[in-house]
Amino acid sequence: MTMEATAGRSAISPRAAVILTLAVTGVVLLLMMLLGLAMRLAQAQVIDVQPDLFYVIMTMHGAGMVGVAGLSGAAVMWHFVRRHVPVSTPVFLTNLVFFLIGAVLILASGFIGGFGAGWTFLFPLPAHSGELWSANAAAAYLLGLMIIGVGFLLLHLDIARGILSVYGGLGAALGVKQAFGMAPDSSGPPPAVTASTMVLIVNILGILLGAAVLIVSLVNLYVPSFAFNALAAKNMIYFFGHVFINATIYMAVIAVYEILPIYTRRPWKTNWAFYLGWVLSTVMVLTVYTHHLLMDFAMPTWALVAGQLISWLSGLPVLFVTAFGTLTIVYHSRMKWSPDAALVFVGVAGWAIGVIPAIADGTIAVNSVMHNTQWVPGHFHTYLLLGMVAMVLGFMTYLTHPQPRYGFVWVGFWAYVIGGTVFVFAFLLAGSESVPRRYAVHVAQWLPYDRIGSVGAALAATGVLILVVRFFASARSSAMAEDPAS
Amino acid sequence: MQKICILWWEAAVTQTVVWDVSIVLMVGLGAIFTWVALGADLAAANYGAAATSAYRLRGWLFAIAVLVLIGTNYKTLGEMPYVAGSAPQSAAPVQVSEVVGQQWAWTIKPNNFVAGQTAEFHVTSKDVNHGFALYDPDFAIVAQTQAMPGYTNILRYTFTKPGTYQVLCLEYCGVMHHEMKTEIQVAGH
Repeated sequence: MTMEATAGRSAISPRAAVILTLAVTGVVLLLMMLLGLAMRLAQAQVIDVQPDLFYVIMTMHGAGMVGVAGLSGAAVMWHFVRRHVPVSTPVFLTNLVFFLIGAVLILASGFIGGFGAGWTFLFPLPAHSGELWSANAAAAYLLGLMIIGVGFLLLHLDIARGILSVYGGLGAALGVKQAFGMAPDSSGPPPAVTASTMVLIVNILGILLGAAVLIVSLVNLYVPSFAFNALAAKNMIYFFGHVFINATIYMAVIAVYEILPIYTRRPWKTNWAFYLGWVLSTVMVLTVYTHHLLMDFAMPTWALVAGQLISWLSGLPVLFVTAFGTLTIVYHSRMKWSPDAALVFVGVAGWAIGVIPAIADGTIAVNSVMHNTQWVPGHFHTYLLLGMVAMVLGFMTYLTHPQPRYGFVWVGFWAYVIGGTVFVFAFLLAGSESVPRRYAVHVAQWLPYDRIGSVGAALAATGVLILVVRFFASARSSAMAEDPAS
Repeated sequence: MQKICILWWEAAVTQTVVWDVSIVLMVGLGAIFTWVALGADLAAANYGAAATSAYRLRGWLFAIAVLVLIGTNYKTLGEMPYVAGSAPQSAAPVQVSEVVGQQWAWTIKPNNFVAGQTAEFHVTSKDVNHGFALYDPDFAIVAQTQAMPGYTNILRYTFTKPGTYQVLCLEYCGVMHHEMKTEIQVAGH
């Protein structure tokens, strides 16, 4: 009897459910990349996009990318964790349905209602549109986010139920005893369980706080006299946003732990350092969000100092556990590179390399001159586009493994990696030249960065298109295939 | 030697140095991943021994990283821009200016300053979050703080060179966000 069987059956197999989710991921990811490309082309003055539409596109791009990162990361996590604990396929599909309902509401709020307050809906901006969008349009956006959040909450609670039923407690599933040498390494949980436990701890808290500030914002739309502290709202939004987007990487990295050992024929070593890294990451992901508020001088200074220190510390597990572990497992392993292994390897590289500009921006003295410049999208696109997304693309390729005629897939791989690299470095260079982020109109001296970035974005989108098309070519037959886990 | 160190630390918060250091570390890390990827098809004579060596190397690298972390944070945390309630370190007069952000314009009174004197901006907002950023005559950011409804953030900055400075909004605040800018004048001594 499989773990799945203990938790009820669905008309659709677990593997098919994952592939269906990844199909939605592929479509949304491509559409959102096109929106991103449109923004860069508009900034480069290659195409004409009016500012009101630009900011709608910006809002949709941000919400769509964060949402699809969560959706695909959850697919990776669920696929692997269900090998170890009982989880429900209907709940997994419910999350997908909630995501689609939320996505429709969000798209309607933007492209019909003109809502363009940014994906972070920074309070009280949704209620101050300058007559460009109505309260109903803003409400549609906020409700859309809320519905997506409810879906994720249900999914996380179901995984928590499964983990608790097998391991008895979150500490045991995280490997706390192994982390502190109170139990032998060999008795620790598998990496997929440890990572999933960390993710559900942080994400459940993040989603709940996000829901609270969404409700505050909704009430404020219709009852403007309902005042709420803007700094408190900012704290809640950035706590939720930071936790949620970071959790997507910690979900996706499970694909690295599972796929690389197949090709290297070496196990992923789960020693005390591995567990300690995950325990510390759990704490740090929950506490580091104040580095988004370093220019809010009204914040308590100790909280901002903590934001800087934890920003630096949080890079250590990434670099010295996951990145070092990846390099060690691949080093002289006699492996033959296939696109899925190469993609997850690139994903770890992108994540690790992206840590460096992120730490720089998390330093108060640097933040004073680089906050909200293009350095910010530069660093987060490094560890999301070239990190998290690479891991997901690797997982998509792994699940729908093509016959060993990789030629065209490699074209997509290199277009994506080279294009993505050019794209992120154009952002970073522009940020170091004080170019602001989130500007619909750029002055002449900024255009070279925009044009280089546009070329990179177009190339990266082409690469992803090739990889996604290949995924769809094999998706149907792969969905019918027997899952090794079953 | 001491002078060189001081210059390095003074330069450490400029965008150019941040870019230079970041690019070296990012490219270096990318080179390590590339080197391992290119050698992946080779066979390790003894993986157990290689792994043991790798973990020993990790210990040393970790120790170096911790030292860099402590040193850099010790230095940079001494340069924090949070000055509320503290007296200016310089004996020069302070020029206080009231700054109000409102979709999509800045009101700055007064908006004329003197180089070498410390300006103290009391920054707030009448509606939504804005970002008050000072761009020098070379169009590089020299200081910033958020403008928030219900709060007044105090930003202290000593202009080092005369000329026309621009104030841009760096927190997205709606459809005319990119047009929310003004100028201030800084006279010589």
